[in-house]
Amino acid sequence: MGDLQSGTVAPVGIPHRSPVEELQARVGRPAHQALDEIKSAVARKGVVTAADEARAALAANVPVAAVHGAVSYYADLHQRRGRRHVRVCTGTACFVASGGGRHIAQVADELAVEVGERSADGAVSLQPVHCLGYCFGGPAALDGAEPRVGADLADQVAGRAAPRDPEIPVYADTAPVVLRGILDGGPSWQTWAAVLERGGAQRVLHEVEVAGLRGRGGAGFPAAQKWAAVAREGGGGRRFVVANGDEGDPGSFADRLLMERDPSRVLEGLALAGLACGAGQGFVYVRSEYPRAFESVQTAVAEAREAGHLGRDVHGSGIDFEIEVASGAGSYVAGEETSLLRSLAGLRGTVRPRPPFPTQYGLLGRPTAVNNVETLCAVPAIVSDGGQTYARHGVTRETGTLLVCLNERFVRPGVYEVELGTPLGEIVERLGGGLRDGGALRALQVGGPLGGFLGPADLDLPLLESALSRAGGALGHGSLVAIDDRVQFSDLLRHFWEFAAKETCGACTPCREGTRRGAAHPAEASQDESLLHVMGVASLCAFGRAIPRTVRSLLFTYGREG
Amino acid sequence: MKVTVDGRPVDVPAGASVLDATRAAEATVTTLCHDDRLAPAGTCRVCLVRVDGGVVAACVTPATEGMAVQTDDEETVDDARRVVELTVERLPRAALDRSSELADVCARLSIPPASFADVGRGLGSDSSHPYIELDRDLCIACGRCVRMCDEVQGTFALTLVGRGADTVVDTGTGGAWLESACVACGGCVDSCPTGALSEAQATIIPAGQAAVTTQTTCGYCGVGCTLDVHTVDDQIVSIRPALDGKVNRGHACVKGRFAHGFVRSPDRLTAPLVRRNGRLERATWDEALALVAGGLTRIRDTYGPDAIAAISSARSTNEENYLFQKLMRTIIGTNNIDNCSRVCHAPSAAGLTAAFGLSGGTNPADDLDVADCILLAGSNATEAHPVVGARIKQRVLQGARLVVVDPRRTELARLADVHLRGTPGSNVAVFNGIAALLIDEGRIDDEFIARRVDGFDSLRNLVSEYTPDRVEELSGVPAASLREAARLYGTAARPSIIYGLGVTEHAHGTDGVRTLSNLAILRGAVGTPHGGGVNPLRGQNNVQGASDMGALPALLPAYQKVSDAAVLERFAAAWGVPLPDRPGLRIPDMFNAALAGRVKALYVFGEDILQTDPDTNHVRAAVDACEFVVSQEIFLSETAAAADVVLPGASFLEKDGTFVNFDRRFQRVRPALGPPGQARTDFDVIHAVADAMGGDLGCASAADAMDECAHLAPLFGGISHRRLDLEGPVHWPCRDADDPGEGRLYEHGFATVNGRAQLAARPWLPPGEQPDAQYPYTLVTGRRLTHYNAGTMTRRTANLVLAPSEHVDVSPDDAARFGVGDGDRVEIASRRGTVRVAVRVTDDVAPGELFMAFHFPDVAANLLTSDGVDEVTSCPEYKVTAVRMSRA
Repeated sequence: MGDLQSGTVAPVGIPHRSPVEELQARVGRPAHQALDEIKSAVARKGVVTAADEARAALAANVPVAAVHGAVSYYADLHQRRGRRHVRVCTGTACFVASGGGRHIAQVADELAVEVGERSADGAVSLQPVHCLGYCFGGPAALDGAEPRVGADLADQVAGRAAPRDPEIPVYADTAPVVLRGILDGGPSWQTWAAVLERGGAQRVLHEVEVAGLRGRGGAGFPAAQKWAAVAREGGGGRRFVVANGDEGDPGSFADRLLMERDPSRVLEGLALAGLACGAGQGFVYVRSEYPRAFESVQTAVAEAREAGHLGRDVHGSGIDFEIEVASGAGSYVAGEETSLLRSLAGLRGTVRPRPPFPTQYGLLGRPTAVNNVETLCAVPAIVSDGGQTYARHGVTRETGTLLVCLNERFVRPGVYEVELGTPLGEIVERLGGGLRDGGALRALQVGGPLGGFLGPADLDLPLLESALSRAGGALGHGSLVAIDDRVQFSDLLRHFWEFAAKETCGACTPCREGTRRGAAHPAEASQDESLLHVMGVASLCAFGRAIPRTVRSLLFTYGREG
Repeated sequence: MKVTVDGRPVDVPAGASVLDATRAAEATVTTLCHDDRLAPAGTCRVCLVRVDGGVVAACVTPATEGMAVQTDDEETVDDARRVVELTVERLPRAALDRSSELADVCARLSIPPASFADVGRGLGSDSSHPYIELDRDLCIACGRCVRMCDEVQGTFALTLVGRGADTVVDTGTGGAWLESACVACGGCVDSCPTGALSEAQATIIPAGQAAVTTQTTCGYCGVGCTLDVHTVDDQIVSIRPALDGKVNRGHACVKGRFAHGFVRSPDRLTAPLVRRNGRLERATWDEALALVAGGLTRIRDTYGPDAIAAISSARSTNEENYLFQKLMRTIIGTNNIDNCSRVCHAPSAAGLTAAFGLSGGTNPADDLDVADCILLAGSNATEAHPVVGARIKQRVLQGARLVVVDPRRTELARLADVHLRGTPGSNVAVFNGIAALLIDEGRIDDEFIARRVDGFDSLRNLVSEYTPDRVEELSGVPAASLREAARLYGTAARPSIIYGLGVTEHAHGTDGVRTLSNLAILRGAVGTPHGGGVNPLRGQNNVQGASDMGALPALLPAYQKVSDAAVLERFAAAWGVPLPDRPGLRIPDMFNAALAGRVKALYVFGEDILQTDPDTNHVRAAVDACEFVVSQEIFLSETAAAADVVLPGASFLEKDGTFVNFDRRFQRVRPALGPPGQARTDFDVIHAVADAMGGDLGCASAADAMDECAHLAPLFGGISHRRLDLEGPVHWPCRDADDPGEGRLYEHGFATVNGRAQLAARPWLPPGEQPDAQYPYTLVTGRRLTHYNAGTMTRRTANLVLAPSEHVDVSPDDAARFGVGDGDRVEIASRRGTVRVAVRVTDDVAPGELFMAFHFPDVAANLLTSDGVDEVTSCPEYKVTAVRMSRA
């Protein structure tokens, strides 16, 4: 009887339906393949036709409506592509690096094509993207899959300057946990093998709980609690774990670092999470703006399979575990877990209400744990060292270390592993070395585009979710974007609203319509208290809800409020 | 859970939402993206309420014990107003010109027209479809249309496209609506809150007039959808599925929802016709009735009452059927009355009665909601019974397993966990094979069998020969698939069997029903709370009722036998005349008797036997052999055209009475319109014929007829129009006014003589007609979604735009062999006739098999079908005809 229940959707209080996903549940696979088919059509021909959509639908066994809806949703899929396709970063750090986004027009001029368009002869196309993860050295672009990074970006794109592809500078301000593999070079998959031999799921759950590890993607939910919920749900049926590698926050590049330089540890963390959840299948969702990360994770999966860390009856444990890697298609909101799961299912990446949480109704309607890459990367060390060791990092209730990302305005930009609770000022001054070229810090954006802006006077705040949210900000994914006084307030404000309008999924009215108004009339919308209020209280997900806070903090920091 | 709403305490069940709680408290919370037919989406963010200090969207927030909800908080109502203002500020002001949910919401929240834009965004429209029109400028991206299509209909024809503020609805292909996968159930139109999707054919209501709404029951298939018919000035404005419809739950199909244009078609029969000099000409009622009365009286008096035979209408009401059989039995004095269940589900009546005791499906449609495995046999439900088909599909999407037994790869077969694709005529072998596996693998309910079942040992003996390998030889169904099907059905906690004419319309159709019923009995899945029983999808709106009312040659109302002297005496006493005690002729026997000269007059009420009965040439010869033929019709059908007198009757939209649907629900039928011209309701016509013959049928009104029937028929003792009007549909059996009616039968015992279910040990026997060297193909006939039976109604609507003609389905293999492609014309010939038809190449059909419907007179599939019949019930073998194909 057990297997009969496996297809049955668990009761979730408020009834939730997603028949297209139910259809996939019957097949037993998420239909991400549909989007892969479309991507290859885009790469081949530069455009997607109705016939391509029909073919993709057939291949992935989904209704063509699902494919058509998705194609129109994802930035990567509906822009017409030239033979040469350039993605220019319009993220905050690059925006700041070029003193207010000047590089975008420069690149467009060099390519003789409008932003978001393809040249008439089909030779070249230019796609604006929100962050390529080169915040430490921007502005940046990807020419095909090849990085072009630096102040002379336009020259690089034009071929007048040598292309630059700088490595991410990496530092640890404490005994590294997450960066252990990168800095110390320790082998991965040791903990996985050990745990399968002794301790199993309970050991993982126990150590991670003792460690107090919280999600590093921004929501800060206790990882062990999430896994225990998944393990509890859904009877004897399938469960899934998903590594969220959709590091969409402009300003963050820590996950790119981990996926490119230490992908095996991410996978090992995912496997351990899978074990804790009782999941036999894991997915890594890598955003399309990180082509190298996608490749390195795929290679790492193949290696792990080869080495016997994945597959059936892993290391004779009786445990089966497989990992599949999927690539995003250009959507910031895909980092939100319900959106990510829909994207993984090849669908429009719109957000849905929770409850039901993915731990109850996730991928294919089955219990699913979605964890950020950085969170997972900490897990092998936590399990091998013991949760107590990890819990000694940070402060009570916000234990551990965090990767913070400093943008190129700092003297020493890069990724830093720091103790939670480190004062911001220390990070800015001691680690980052203050602003380069003698620039004056005008504002510090903490925790991504929806985190919030702090002023120079706020640097005594500790790097803690609790403290930052009290100050009207958020810890987010730990990015710090220093903004100097070359950037005009009005440009920054417009930049923010345009980002919001471009990336809102459009599912809920306040966010969809509010960001539209904001992009059209940034100053006016930013002073429209009733608009901001309704976006803040009534939006469906954290994206829309955080917009007013961000706007207000920006206004406050620049002394423009009310 | 106890929750307070605006200070008022209410009790709500676990799992309730805050919106549920506010409704329980009768508080008003405005919604926009919500539709009770759908799971809450929580995207419009209009249903904002204050809960324990915070603002939440009521529809997607779970209520919790002790929660305090405030719906009238001013600031929160302002928030909701602001959300609606944001929603409408890009919509053209003209959006308010039509009545819509959005217009109501704006009125309630005092949002002035000034909040709208002067003009729309110019997103374009689509009017390619005859019934559905899209104006994208009115779309608010709430997604209700898409969700109706996905969550209710299950067609996945629509999607939202774009992102953010550009989000708007589109067809699934991005092309024209007419070319999309849309099956025109109308769900999107019915749910759309703004008018972005609207009904293209809906009449505009003149200013100052309000539409009258009449709730009635659909007159197409046997599902029994409750419909709200909106009319103005005796014209239909629109027909919509009733939200509280017990079976359809606010859903309908392209027929019930849109195909009503026939009712005011210019070629409706609006006056009687009589044959003069070989031609049918208009006549007065007096003239026509005198001819009918004279003709019938003369034949009765000359040849005896049994020289008259009548076919009653499964399309008309119970009351009319009751009256018609009473006319035949009392005034004519014959039991020669039958109805079209003879040619569809007579084997169900016989088989289910023999197995369980009553002539009907065993369980209510509601049991589908809890089924964890559905065995669907011989039914293309998503086309022939679309609303039930959609419910099956949704249940399967939600996790129920699906086993489909069908030679064709239907929509549901494609979705199935296991598709048992046997050759036509192999059902009994397949069912016996599953029974053998259930027994072998111990997946039977021993305790139930011991306590409530007869015939186990002989069944076990018989089916032991039906090993999977042997079944594979007999049917072509792979042994492994059979095993998997038996495992799924045999391990389900609440398995349900649904079947259609693919089980009954065979030479051994009754054996099919019996051997299928065996499976439910073996599992203890009938007459218990843990099973969905055995349920036929009845073909016509009232084919169950026509039989229930005694329009059968051997049975009086409620299946009481004419051969039972006590019963007959009771009816004779009530009706005040002696009654014939010899069972009358079944439909195929009527034709044979006519050809043999024993039947001289045929009175055909609401059935086109010259298009729908098998072997049309044979039927035509029988009709021609009669001295006198009466047709009571709404159109000049093939049969009417051959009659001596044609009496113009009424459509279901014009009459008062009841239908009984496939799950034995008595449901009210109410007139939304009057019959056109001089046409009369069939109830009146039958009375008039009786009067003209000098008889009196009593029962002045339809309600009186039902009362009289209830009085004489114990199974329907508690049914009356008053009760149905008050309480809504009631299942039979319903023995008295206090009996709530039995949706799920036999929980306290089977209705067989000894109260036990009867297993049937029946061997597989070959079909009556088999392919041979001369006629190497097997033709299967059936229905298509867009049309209905003889097509009399649907061909007079815009459904003809959706499906303008018939075609023969040919497998890609056979098409390649013949070198034919889509649209090429072929000749299909059987031993009895020939038709020419265009080819459609599809893997719906297996190589060696062909499929055709009989909706179009120019492709008269029934010229081909045989006079082979089920040996028990004389139901024709429509599903197996040996034919050959050649290029035309």
